Amino acid sequence: MKLTFKHFGACVLALFATQFTLAGPMGFKESTMAMGDFSPNWREGFANYAFTGRDAVGLGALWMRSDDGLRVRETVEINYTRRLARWNQPESQANVWLVAGLGPVTGNDFSGSRTLFSPGIQVDFETTRVYASAMVRLYRAEGLNHDYASVRAGFSFYEVDYDEIQPWFILEARRMNNLSDQTEITPMLRLIHNRYFVEFGLNNANQGRFNFMYIF
Amino acid sequence: MKHTYLSSLAAALAIATLPLPTLAATSVKATVNGMVCAFCAQGIEKRLGKLPATQSVFVDLKQKVVAVQAKDGQTLDAKTITAEITDAGYDVVKLETVSKTVDEIKAEVKASARAKP
Repeated sequence: MKLTFKHFGACVLALFATQFTLAGPMGFKESTMAMGDFSPNWREGFANYAFTGRDAVGLGALWMRSDDGLRVRETVEINYTRRLARWNQPESQANVWLVAGLGPVTGNDFSGSRTLFSPGIQVDFETTRVYASAMVRLYRAEGLNHDYASVRAGFSFYEVDYDEIQPWFILEARRMNNLSDQTEITPMLRLIHNRYFVEFGLNNANQGRFNFMYIF
Repeated sequence: MKHTYLSSLAAALAIATLPLPTLAATSVKATVNGMVCAFCAQGIEKRLGKLPATQSVFVDLKQKVVAVQAKDGQTLDAKTITAEITDAGYDVVKLETVSKTVDEIKAEVKASARAKP
């Protein structure tokens, strides 16, 4: 299969998107949240600080590689997250989040760097047993104008106290319009315990995936 | 005069050796909506644990209970507790001050959960 810039862009967008679709995109007031996303073609580290209960600023660094291993991209992004709305019910919680990132992207097949602006909206719904989220994010830069969308849904195998390990099954589907011809589908096992979670999965291209999140 | 002095001294000693009355622990118990995940619980626990009058905190996701025990001789401010939980993004639907420790509240909540079908 011939790799095109679209395929490469899809990888870039997937990389950026992962940090916001793991779970809620920020921790509680005055907390720092660290996240990571690792697979053969990308490695990402990200952290943000919640300076209010609704707002967080963060910095992310990432390395990624195209499927053929020829092209490499590195980027650093400053981003802002805001909880626009929340609905609380006795057994559930629903949120609307705004995320916006800005940073340079460099690569080994072009000189200099390009500035990427990436505003997006995430909505999620969660109970102690069910989780669902959806995200739409725009990625705009010189030579890039792409939309990204992802959905996640899952359930916990049983209910636990919050200081006990809780296993979840999560199914994620994501797609980058005009960038990739196929939708990536990844079933994952998520383990949540107190202040961290980890996820392990294998996507429909047989690529392993490991995610983590930790709140300080 | 000497007799009076000795009597007073004896009375003072007697009072001093009496056991002190036990101060009942005071806690604030809240029912909170929207608290569904470990990260929610951790955030609330950490924020309330930082309050100067807080002795200990207990959070139960299933029963939607948050309990805060005051340090001996100190008073918990219900408004501050409500504000902390609300600022964290959750809704306090009921709040009461009870003469129990957090451990006692925890035992009650666990028993209540077990009793539910």
